[in-house]
Amino acid sequence: MRQGIVASLLMGVATVVGIGFAALGQTLSAGLQAGLFWTALLFGLFPALARGFIVEEETGTADLLRIGARPASIFWGKWLFHATLYALLSVVLVPLYALLVAPPRGHALGWLLLWLGGGFCLTSILTLCGALVAQTTVRGALLAGLTFPLLLPLILVLIAGTRQALEGALPAEPLQGIFGYALALSAGGAWVFEKVWQE
Amino acid sequence: MWALECRRLGKRFGERWVFRGLELSLQMGTVLLVRGANGSGKSTLLRLMAGLLAPTEGTVVLRYQGTPVADRKRYLGWCAVDGALYRELTGYEHLRWWAQVRNLPAERDLLLTHLERFELGHRAHERVRAYSAGMRQRLRLALATYGAPPLLLLDEPDAGLDSSGLRLLERTLHEQATYGIACFATNRAEFARWGNLALELGS
Repeated sequence: MRQGIVASLLMGVATVVGIGFAALGQTLSAGLQAGLFWTALLFGLFPALARGFIVEEETGTADLLRIGARPASIFWGKWLFHATLYALLSVVLVPLYALLVAPPRGHALGWLLLWLGGGFCLTSILTLCGALVAQTTVRGALLAGLTFPLLLPLILVLIAGTRQALEGALPAEPLQGIFGYALALSAGGAWVFEKVWQE
Repeated sequence: MWALECRRLGKRFGERWVFRGLELSLQMGTVLLVRGANGSGKSTLLRLMAGLLAPTEGTVVLRYQGTPVADRKRYLGWCAVDGALYRELTGYEHLRWWAQVRNLPAERDLLLTHLERFELGHRAHERVRAYSAGMRQRLRLALATYGAPPLLLLDEPDAGLDSSGLRLLERTLHEQATYGIACFATNRAEFARWGNLALELGS
């Protein structure tokens, strides 16, 4: 997992640096800033989150987990680790993004709620999909294929909400959508995981 | 009183049946020796008993005083030769983690005493990556037996063990028979005497 964390940080930093270089001297629209921000976070999350369960299956420690702990404990334990990674990544990438691309502005509470809600949903989706993909042998493409339909609506809502926050408004409707998505993931995620985790 | 029942148990991978129609009823005190050629389904049977695999047909039920238990994984100890350990953790950390997730006593003295029983006490605080194959197998046995689970499933538990480890394994099986059920798979004929019941797969 150490390698996964380092890969995540490197990927995230490289993405933000690349965006900053490409945007040098330009004034980016709120929508573009929002899209690039979440793209950078997502690119940073993917390397480590994809490995969460795959590394357990590959090294053979998954059986130890299956015997020892309840599925819900495993799901939320992995989720907590991934959420911690999300926070760590944010600590590094958000200031870097502010420095290289665009300083934060707009509705601070809106930003915070989007970051919290978006983080919860992102880590839930990638934790669950990581567990699904770890059971298969064709992992790379499958992970992308499984996560895309779950991530796309979330990313679109996050971008819309972030654009509103950048423009100084509380993104009420996007936050409602994210809250609903989070509820569905909370209720369904652990249940689906339990079915997937047992063969 | 514990009992393990397999009814019309069968497992298929793709088009190939490993076995089917298996009927077993194991009572407390049974040490079942599972024998068979490579690929005959020894590991598959143990994994089905453990709930690590879902049967293609039939059922596996663990009963306590006649009543099926809901989640038999909570009552079993598992040791497989290909079972991985976390290389970054020490033997002590493994056992402590195991005790905590199983809601078993996790006092330091208890854990170290248990590791000492498997002759790992002096290496308890070294990372598993520094363990030999035999030591890792001893640690797997220590994890499997901690808390005296009523059902002990051992897949080739003799792998990598020296003569001292083999004596330890034999003692473990005999102790298990005093309060539960043990099933172990091996290809080595000299261990046949360890079991009081034998199952030959693939014949």
